[in-house]
Amino acid sequence: MERRLALVLFSAAFFAAPARAGVTNPNISVIGQPFMRWHDDASDPSHERATLDPGEVEGVFDAYLNPYASGTFVLTFGEDGAALEEGYFQLLRGLPAGLALKGGKYRMDFGKLNPQHPHAYPFATRWRVLSSYLPGEESLNETAVELSGRIPAPGDFSLTASADWMNGDTFRVAREPGGSPDDPLAQGGDDDAGSPRPAFLGRLSGFSAIGDRSGLELGLSATTGINNVAADARTSVYGADAKVKLWTADNAYLLVQGEFLRQDLDHAGWDSTAAAYTTSRTHSNGGYIHADYNFKIRYNAGGGYERFRQPVAGGDWDQAFKLWVGLSLMEETTAFRLDWDRYLPGDTAGGSPDAINTITLRAVFSMGPHKAHQF
Amino acid sequence: MFRITIVLILMLALVAPGARAGAIRVAASTTDLASIAKSVGGDRVECFAIAKAGADAHRVEVLPSYMVKVSKADVYLKVGLGLDQWADPIIDGSRNSKLTVVDCSAGIPVLEKPTGGVNASMGDVHPNGNPHYWLDPRNGAVVARTVADALARIDAAHAGEYHARAGELAKQCESAWENGKQIAATIPNRTVLTYHRSWPYFADAFGFEIAGQAEPVPGIPPTAKHLAELVEIARARKIPVLIQEPYFSADAGKFLAREAGLRVVVMPLSCDSADAGSYLAHIDAVIKSLAGAGEGS
Repeated sequence: MERRLALVLFSAAFFAAPARAGVTNPNISVIGQPFMRWHDDASDPSHERATLDPGEVEGVFDAYLNPYASGTFVLTFGEDGAALEEGYFQLLRGLPAGLALKGGKYRMDFGKLNPQHPHAYPFATRWRVLSSYLPGEESLNETAVELSGRIPAPGDFSLTASADWMNGDTFRVAREPGGSPDDPLAQGGDDDAGSPRPAFLGRLSGFSAIGDRSGLELGLSATTGINNVAADARTSVYGADAKVKLWTADNAYLLVQGEFLRQDLDHAGWDSTAAAYTTSRTHSNGGYIHADYNFKIRYNAGGGYERFRQPVAGGDWDQAFKLWVGLSLMEETTAFRLDWDRYLPGDTAGGSPDAINTITLRAVFSMGPHKAHQF
Repeated sequence: MFRITIVLILMLALVAPGARAGAIRVAASTTDLASIAKSVGGDRVECFAIAKAGADAHRVEVLPSYMVKVSKADVYLKVGLGLDQWADPIIDGSRNSKLTVVDCSAGIPVLEKPTGGVNASMGDVHPNGNPHYWLDPRNGAVVARTVADALARIDAAHAGEYHARAGELAKQCESAWENGKQIAATIPNRTVLTYHRSWPYFADAFGFEIAGQAEPVPGIPPTAKHLAELVEIARARKIPVLIQEPYFSADAGKFLAREAGLRVVVMPLSCDSADAGSYLAHIDAVIKSLAGAGEGS
């Protein structure tokens, strides 16, 4: 399905105006992010030694397709080969009431961090509360269709709403067989893994400028999908986010950002007595907050904290702290970022020896057109 | 419940923003373009600029509030030549299908257009030429005519007014240029240093010679070695002035002032408001500052 979609989108992008290739060629950017990492996680054989990793290379192709639409592809190249991370078109103009349509595979607009690519983070890895609660390995990234529009509001206050209809495949959770011989998994079944499992996401966000350059953005997001079709088990995640960026001088600003998430997760099971599927629900919540101070255009330093309940029955609270510094030689073209992450899983909260420390030094380099900074 | 929420959100989104009032709303990337549009459009236009006076128009963060403003506009005036690439996501984000986008660099005799290949080792080079053309008032006249054509297309009933005002502004630009040349002629040494490669049009218009930039290549902060070379040049040629934009660090200017004895004139690249007359008042202020007769140093 993804390959077919990619083929269609490539065709749209490259065959729209073949006679004027110089005008219609897409912008091409390539971003590399090799890193060196050291950690003391005793469960990993490579602990307490620095390892070098080429990281993931990201290739971005984007262009206007015509006066109304644009197309974007983001390909990633890593040790596992090439993959289509994102491939979508956007119908930016022409729809009634200023609505916009987006279709394809893309990082879903849930909260502030999920839509961002990792190379744009000031720290090395995203907050664990997101990876624990949101479906998807690296992000909630789905094949979907999105309709978005701006809601009229007083003054220059920006209020935007979006609704996405997703394929829902990332919501699937593989159930462990219960051991009973009549469990459908034991009989070669797959809990209707191939059945349709549409999922939905909605977001409402508001932005208010503070003075000429500073601003505050608040958002609400919600997503729901089916993690086991046969058991009709659902995963729902609700989020509230806030981001404030305050310019303190011509070339210095403080950014504070946080998200609070709540996850309702149905755990699918099999009741051999009743010969029927069962579900049990866990409610978990948590969040993160971080602050990043940028000064003299090229330097930044910051820190953050997260705390969340593990999404299992009787789950403990996990915590983590991060501290980081960064240097950009010339904006994003060449940047070096040093990050310390201290993870306190579950019952080790309070600083027991089982806390895991990770230090990462990243080099992020980008070649190609430099895009404008978005709030 | 979730589906009901989605439907409600969509219903709210379907309520269209109101239609524009009588005046043509003109959004511009810079105050200079907005001021020129106000001079050309008179009371028939409402103008505002995205980049604030004194801000670096190369780097403007795309705020959602800008998109809201542009969603209510009829015309968007871009500087073009790669300076205001940030305008594209603002225009896209405005979702304004009725917006007329005008590239104001059309018809400008572009300076410093690279003749060979361009790559990032040359710094932040604009491959289509230097984009700071509004600092020559003769180019202000070209922009005025471009804006008049755009307004005439939108409001054909008053096309004559727009073209007449553009002609009047062109005369004022010519006068400002002549006046500026006379003032510049009183300056004994018209060789200057600039911080960034922003002033070639200004220098070309008023007979200044730019002997070097504090930035070793465009967009790269000054290095000690490069500043030492500039000190030698400034001493040898008795260069009296470094022109610097307010958003750059003052360190290099202080060093050059101390070592080479020159004067640092801090001037914004754009005028201070979108009002009619602000554009030429800024040109006048720059030339007077350089002549030592005005403020700004």
